[in-house]
Formats: sequence, structure tokens, C-alpha cells
Amino acid sequence: MADIDTLETPRDVELSTLKAIYPEIQQVRTDDPYTISLDIPVAPSSPVVVFFPAVGDAAPVAGPSNGNHVGNGTNGLHVDSHEVAHLPSLHLEISFGPDYPADEPPRVTISAHPPWLPRETIAKLEDDAPRLWEEMGRDMVGFTYIDHIQQSGDTVFGLVDEKGALEVDPQHKIAILDYDIKAQHAAFERQTFDCGVCLDPKKGAVCHKMNDCGHVFCVPCLQDFYNAAIQQGDLAAVRCPAFGCAKEREKLGNNKRKKPRTYINPSELLQIPLDVDVVRRYVSLKYKTELESDKNTIYCPRQWCNGAARSKKHKKPEGFELAEMSDDEGSDKEDGDTKPYKPVEDLLAICEDCHFAFCARCFQSWHGEFFRCLPPSQKGMPTAEELASLDYINHHSTACPTCASRTQKTHGCNHMICYRCQTHFCYLCAAWLEPGNPYQHFNELPNGKATPCYMRLWELEEGDGSEVDDAENHARPPMPGAGPVAGHPEPEIEEPAEDAVDHEINAIFHAVAAANQGVGAPQPELLGADVGIAREGPLVLRIAANPPAGVGRGGPRGRRAAPPAAAGGGRGGAGARGRVARGGQRGRGAAAADRPRQNNQGDQAPRGGGQQQQGQQQQQRRINRRGGDGPLEAEDGELDAAQQAWVRQFVQLALNDEEEEEEEDENEFHHLVLMD
Amino acid sequence: MSKRIAKELSDCTTSPPPGISITLPSDSDLHKWHVTLTPSPTSIYAGGTFGLVVTLPPDFPFRAPHIVFSTRIYHPNVTNDAAGNICLGLLKDENWKPGSRLRGVLEAVRGLLDEPNPDDPLEPRIADEFRREREVFDKNARAHVVSYAKGKPSFVVAAPAPAASGKEGKGGKA
Repeated sequence: MADIDTLETPRDVELSTLKAIYPEIQQVRTDDPYTISLDIPVAPSSPVVVFFPAVGDAAPVAGPSNGNHVGNGTNGLHVDSHEVAHLPSLHLEISFGPDYPADEPPRVTISAHPPWLPRETIAKLEDDAPRLWEEMGRDMVGFTYIDHIQQSGDTVFGLVDEKGALEVDPQHKIAILDYDIKAQHAAFERQTFDCGVCLDPKKGAVCHKMNDCGHVFCVPCLQDFYNAAIQQGDLAAVRCPAFGCAKEREKLGNNKRKKPRTYINPSELLQIPLDVDVVRRYVSLKYKTELESDKNTIYCPRQWCNGAARSKKHKKPEGFELAEMSDDEGSDKEDGDTKPYKPVEDLLAICEDCHFAFCARCFQSWHGEFFRCLPPSQKGMPTAEELASLDYINHHSTACPTCASRTQKTHGCNHMICYRCQTHFCYLCAAWLEPGNPYQHFNELPNGKATPCYMRLWELEEGDGSEVDDAENHARPPMPGAGPVAGHPEPEIEEPAEDAVDHEINAIFHAVAAANQGVGAPQPELLGADVGIAREGPLVLRIAANPPAGVGRGGPRGRRAAPPAAAGGGRGGAGARGRVARGGQRGRGAAAADRPRQNNQGDQAPRGGGQQQQGQQQQQRRINRRGGDGPLEAEDGELDAAQQAWVRQFVQLALNDEEEEEEEDENEFHHLVLMD
Repeated sequence: MSKRIAKELSDCTTSPPPGISITLPSDSDLHKWHVTLTPSPTSIYAGGTFGLVVTLPPDFPFRAPHIVFSTRIYHPNVTNDAAGNICLGLLKDENWKPGSRLRGVLEAVRGLLDEPNPDDPLEPRIADEFRREREVFDKNARAHVVSYAKGKPSFVVAAPAPAASGKEGKGGKA
């Protein structure tokens, strides 16, 4: 009798075997050790396409588990399909009764959460238990049955049609997709990856798979890399760190889009996860860069705000969403630049930040559409400090020919790539360079000719700026035919200075013309340069409207000087920028010639040092020379007395009140006036 | 990240890429490598042995390694002076990807000796010569090999490697 107690019943044996195979087996009720439950994952051997027919398509049926008959997948008009690798698992409960296995089959119940499996399928699976039990000769069937369920899960219990499609009631859509994502994530976390940055094998749980390209890196490496890049404002580096990643994708998807997106979405940065503040900075920097690279951006006139005006093109990011950011920035660049007028309906500007409504032309509070206004005149002189700063910027930086962002070279060759818009350009002459062969510019051209920058790739190698050795600095722009090399004594060469004046006059003509058209608002980067001109705008206008005899000649002459300048600058409108913005070789040369003087003066008289002063110097030097050489007419046959008088009058008017402060020059000036 | 450098070093020394052997000038400093480069037999520079000095920035691999030729070489993409600067796209900071491997970089440098890239030259004159008068270029290149690249390479570089910045002029908002 004692034997019976110690003997294990077959169902005990089976139970311990099953528990050994499936350690996740759980006992359903504490008082009944013979009823167990188990979740069986449904992972089809290959991902299945799951259809969620739109509600209207499915016949209205009662009961949630109905209506998911296997369809052919193409009948519905609004078929919503997703590829799914993991379906919600089945919950299996098996109860081994006291007469099992000899006289009683196991009792099974199957359920799915959500109930995505059709009722009939569940019934069939449940019926399989007694059937298999019979087939086994009424023996222990537990493992066989569980295995059978698992195996039929490979084909989703025969529910997948011949095209690999499975139809499921749309009400389970979210649950099913959600389950799939979680299951994939869990599978990813169990894997091991070699991080491409630190080269260490890392568990998937501490790795991030790039959304766009699928490369896997460990989270600490990505955090280090992106945090540093965003901190330094190097937004271009915020891309997949894998070598050649963008190129590979470009090859793969060459017919889909021009270029695959390389920047990383803020939401993905948060997933990695990056600090919220860092991502916020990334978003705002991206937006700022976008705005700044668009010359048409208008900024709020409230000094404490300076926010950008609302624009259709650039949406201010909300939260971490970057609105339709595109990599090909400024595709419709020509728009704003060529139109002298903004359409009236575009004049209303509303600040993104402080919601101030203002006029985009006159920068006053919004005055309605039917008020005629003019661009603002520059009130008040820029301070000496501002002028000196602008002067420095003009001398020691080069504007990108595409986006006009100014770049100061710290070292290296003169082939520059704009930090903002990636345009290739020449640091010496600001010419646009063909990205395919940028160095051609510094070499002999195919036609045997050479640019003024021929063999000058390495000039200013140590950088450009006052902190760099002066000799190196001054060597910068002696263009052929331009002004004398700086640092030499007062030159005897006449043409450059003459031309510089012509440039200046020419520049003023342009400004006048622009003012006449109502466009006179100087480009922000030219602010300082055109200050004096803009301020004297109306005055000049009057003169131009009623020119003395000489102007007829002075005008064309000025204009004649413009083309080389424009050509040298590699862009139109160089005339207007002429001397100050180093649009032209000659203008630039002259500016360079002036530099040592400028520097000296800056040292001795820090109050000055602006563009106007410079113009004054040039003008005075020209006149000086004349004074020394004899009568003006004798020296330059092209200018008659009337012209000269006009030019002088003009220049005098155009020059500013700082004259008094320039004691030495002032004297010369008076002297000259007296001479005539 | 010195672990990564150690890995890269052991990868490059245990199964060195063809024509490349690496020594450390100082055992305690993994950031400076001396590389002896033997061009492939088909290269115009075959027969020479070239020294490369690889300097890994402190924040490697987030910034590009700095590589210079310490042996003079007559090549369109290498400055023809004692500094030996190399113009190679993947070494430029703006193109550098932290996922790039030093093995691949060194192979790319060696590849330059087989296929100079005259479209992106550091020595425009040599690039022109390479394009137009290949015989003259070949002669000059071989002469340079004979004059400078025979025997054990030296690893003395004229100018110290710049701190972190790339070769291209770097822009800052003025």
C-alpha cells in the first residue's frame, strides 16, 4: 500500500516534464496542481501582411470575434495593410483530470488577447487535443499538443492565404501593431551587436538602431557623439555615424528621391535617448540655420525680440517637431532677390516670437495695406565701435556667394566650403567654385587663361584676421591690376584709386537707383557699408535728378567700371557692393591698399575707422595727388571742371559730419577746395 | 575611447592590411602611430618605403585622424614639402564618420599611391603634370622615390599636426 503513495502518477510525470521544457508554465489555481497555463507566441516563419479592411467593407456582425474571415485581401477598396512579424500570443490552459491519460483527454481552452483569432479557428485548435490524444493511443499528449499549436503558429493556423496575407478585424489593429513593435524590440534587445563606434559587442538593450538606415550603435557612443556635435553647433554631423551610409542609401534608392535624408529627426534623438534640452537646442539651431540661410527672412523690429516673422516656407518648430525640413535648402532662392517689390499682401509680417504685427517694408507697426511707406532710413550713426567691427568684418572675412554668410578663415587653403550652405567658394575673391573641381580656380583654366587667384591656393594659410601676423595679412588681396601691395609707401599708381572712386560713385548710383525703385533697404550684411549712402539718399536723389553736364559722362564711366567688378566678384550687383563688399577685384585691391592706413588710423584714432572714413580717405588721396600734380583737367582729360565740381559737391554731401574729427585730412580737404 | 584605439591597433597589427605595418613611437601613447607604407607593386612608387605619421585627436573617433607623409613624395594629393599633408576626402572633418575604421583609412591612403586623384589636388602643378605629361610625372615621381623613399623611413614631420581642426579653412560667423 505504501507503494502507491510514493509512485508518481503519469500525470505527475508529464507535468514535471512539461515544466522542464517550458519553465514559463504557470499553475492556474493554487489548489489544483493539474491545471496549467502557457502563452504560446505566434511568430510566423516569415512576416505576414495583415489586412485591416475598413469598417464599411466588413459585413456588420455581432460579436467581436466574428468578421475576421480570411479574405483574399484585394476585394476591399480601403485596404490598410501592414507587415507583421509577431502576432499576439495565444493563451493556452490545459487541465489534466484525475483519469488522464488513460480514460480522459486533457481539457484545453485557448484564448487570444486581443481576440484576433476567429472563433472557429480556436474551436478547431481546442478539438485537436482529444483528437491527438486518441491518435497517440490515449497516452500522455501534453507536449505533442503544445508543440502542435506552436507549429501551426508558423502558418498562423492556416489563416494566411496563398499570397501571404492575413485579414484581421480593424478594431484589433492598434493592439496587433503594438504587440509586433514590442515583440520586435524585445527580440532586438536579446541580440548582440558590435557597435560601430567603440567596436565593442553590446547587448541590443543598450543599442539603438537608426530609423532610416538600420545601422546599430551603442547608446553611450551615440550620446557622446551627438551631444558634442549639437553642443558645438555642428548640425551636419548629426547623421548616421556609419562610414559611407548616405552613399549606400543613395545608391539603393536612387529613383525614389534625389538624395536620401541624412539628418536625424528630433524624435529619434529622443528615442536614443538624448537629453531633452540637447534635442531642444538641436531643433532650434536647425530652425535658426534655416532662417538665416534664407535671405528673405524678416526679423521683428522690436529690439528686445528680433524674432523671425512667420513664414510659409519655414514653420517654427513646435515642441520637437521639425516641420517639413528639407535638405535642399533654398531651392527657390531666386524668388525674393529678383523682385524689387514685395506684393502688398506680403507686407504684413507677424513675429513668431512676440506676435508683433509690422510692415515688412518700413518696419513700423502694421499700418494696413493702403498706406504707402518707404524702407526705413538709417537713423543715427552707427557707433565707432560698430563701424570698426563692420570694417574688420569686411576686411577679414569673405561672404559666401550663395547665402552671403561671412566666413573668416582660421587656417588652410583658399578653397572654402560654406559652413551654412556648403557652397564651395574662393576665399580670396568670393567666386563660386565648381564642387567637382574647385581647385581649377587656382590653376590654369582649360582655355589656357587663369583667374586672378592663379597659384594662390595657399595664400593666407595661417588664417585671416588681426591676430594673424600682419605681413601675412596684408599679402591678401593684391589682385593683378588692382591697388598696390599694402605696406608700401603711398603709391604713385593712379588708376586704382581713381577706379575706387568710380566704384564708390557707381555704388551710390546703384543705391540711388535702388532708392528710386523703393528698394533701398540695404542688405543686412551691407548695413555698415551703405549706411552713409542710404542716409544721404534723398539728397543724392535730387542731384541725380538734375545732373550737371558732367554727370552724363561720369555716369557711363562709372558704369563702365562696373562690369569687371561684377565679373571679378562672380555675381551680379557687385557694383553696388563694389568697394566695400569686395565684389570686384579692383575695388578690393583698393580697399587693401587702404588697409595699412586704416589700421594705423584705427590705432591712433579709435573713434573713426569706418567705411565712410575709408571712402573719405580714398577721395582725399585722389584729390591730394591731383593737387600735387597740377591742374585737374591736365591730369585727367575725362573730367571737365563741371564734372569735378559736381563730384566734389557730391562727395562732400555724401561724407558725414565726422570730417571735423579728421584734423589732418580735413585740412587737406579744405586746401583742395580752396585750390579750385 | 582608448579601448577602440587599442582594438583598431590590434586589428591592424595582428592582420595588417597589405603593405602596411604599424609601430608605436611611445608605448604609453596610443594616439600616435608610425606607419610604414609599402606601395603595391603596380604603383609608380613601388620600390620605395614611405613613413606616415598618424595622430588621433583626443576625441577620436568623433574627429578625423590626422595623417601626414613623413617621407617626401611627388604626388598630386600630398604637399610636396616636409609637412606631407594629404588631401583625402574621408580625412576631412566634415566628411569624417565615427564609424570609419583606421584600417580602411590606411588602405585608402595606400590606394592614393596607385591612383592619384588629380581632380582634388594639393599640388596643382603636379596634378596638371599628372594629367598632361604622364611620362614627366612618372619620371619625377620615381626620382623622388630614389631620393627620399629608399631605406627605412623616418618619422620626423616638419610642422606639428594641427590640434583638432581639418584642412579646409574653417568658417566662423564673422
